[in-house]
Amino acid sequence: MSSARRRLVLWLGLSVAVAAALYVVARVVDWPDWAEPIARYILEVGLPATLRVSAVAVVGSCLLGIALGTALTIDFAPSRALIRGYVEVFRGLPILVTVFMVYFGLPAISETLKFEALTATSIALILWGSAQVAEATRGAVQSIPHEQHEAASALGFGWVGRHGFVILPQALRRLLPPLVGLLVNIIQNSTLAQAIGGVEVLQAAKSQTERLTFFPPAGIGEIHAFEIFAGVMVLFFVISFPLTRLAAYLEKRLV
Amino acid sequence: MLLAVTYDLWAFVSENWRELLDGLVNTLKVSAIAIAGSFVIGLVLGAARAHRVPVVSQLTAVYVEIVRNTPILVQIFMIFYALPQFGILLNQFTVAWVSVMIWGGAFNSENFRAGFEAVPYRYREAGYALGFSPRATFFNVTLPIGGRISLPSSINTYISVLKNTSLMYVIGYAELTTTAINIAALTLETLEALTVLAVVYLALVWALSAGIRKLETKLALPESR
Repeated sequence: MSSARRRLVLWLGLSVAVAAALYVVARVVDWPDWAEPIARYILEVGLPATLRVSAVAVVGSCLLGIALGTALTIDFAPSRALIRGYVEVFRGLPILVTVFMVYFGLPAISETLKFEALTATSIALILWGSAQVAEATRGAVQSIPHEQHEAASALGFGWVGRHGFVILPQALRRLLPPLVGLLVNIIQNSTLAQAIGGVEVLQAAKSQTERLTFFPPAGIGEIHAFEIFAGVMVLFFVISFPLTRLAAYLEKRLV
Repeated sequence: MLLAVTYDLWAFVSENWRELLDGLVNTLKVSAIAIAGSFVIGLVLGAARAHRVPVVSQLTAVYVEIVRNTPILVQIFMIFYALPQFGILLNQFTVAWVSVMIWGGAFNSENFRAGFEAVPYRYREAGYALGFSPRATFFNVTLPIGGRISLPSSINTYISVLKNTSLMYVIGYAELTTTAINIAALTLETLEALTVLAVVYLALVWALSAGIRKLETKLALPESR
């Protein structure tokens, strides 16, 4: 086992152990009365929403981004300029502005383009993520030696077959580390839904924090922002940390 | 009153340019402070990590991992909503630059660490052989070379810092995004406001990245030119 792989296994093992320990502690510790319903709300309503938004965004970004990135290697100026513009615009804009464009801008153009907050966030993340993936794909595809193209052509593959069966499978190997990095970024950026009121982990936490500050019976008239947001941080950390370790490992293995 | 049903960018800008300009100035102000701060944080902590300074280096690693693995929005909420619980009440402007500075500092310390670690050990040995003290070696050998190696990645971090100031919308700080969206909420000129946002941010980001490419070629190490 290489030292890089040993380190990865160590970190992943440690992450699982910490997550298990957190779970046990959560079961054993005597929580204050307000904590349990809030933890349940965040984990049972917020977390599935965060994961759903992220999953849709990652799959969409990969499909669209790999297609655009491959098309970017075609030597045809108009299509290349178009895709380049798309990539530069959505990589350049703050993602929050893209979220506003989808959530506020599209309905202003046409009523049929009205999306609910979580869907709008997914779409915005796809626009941003696919631009990232397209750029990475272009590099990965161009890093495949020219002989591979020629060999595939000699075997009778057309452009689509050549890229689909020969070039992309090899490029995908190089694409894997940035894709895992993208997954982490998308999970974290799914919290942007909070800005437009989509109920994911962060919005769930924030609304409950505010509720607690109300007088009874709605709340308890206390501020517990630190405990709740610290919990949210732990939740995201437990999800992201193993993934960033994995990305670092994949990157090292490739070099 | 007739509500805005047509797209009139010029009317939007000419009626609201004062507010938008104030917003832009606030965005630039927060970005400038945060970029300067994250440069210092990155330089100091990156050097500490590259030279494996005990305690500081481990604490930096923890800081970097926490910032990298949690959403920046949660970090902003921590500072804005949770710190008052401990009697630390910061205004929106302070929260704005502090939170993006902490974020940028973490990423930047990784950039600088990578840059310093990329300086071949024999260069430092040469410094010692010339009689330089460790500190003089750092300032005369490691910093000029490693700093240039880390320049592209650290400037990308600064661009992200600039873009992340838009997140101050969630705490209501009147930077460009908040200003434009709030005007749009009043006047219903949504598309005009979004156009202004897109144009200004893209101009800033593209100008910065173009400037970087210039700077990069100018500062490139002789051997890679």
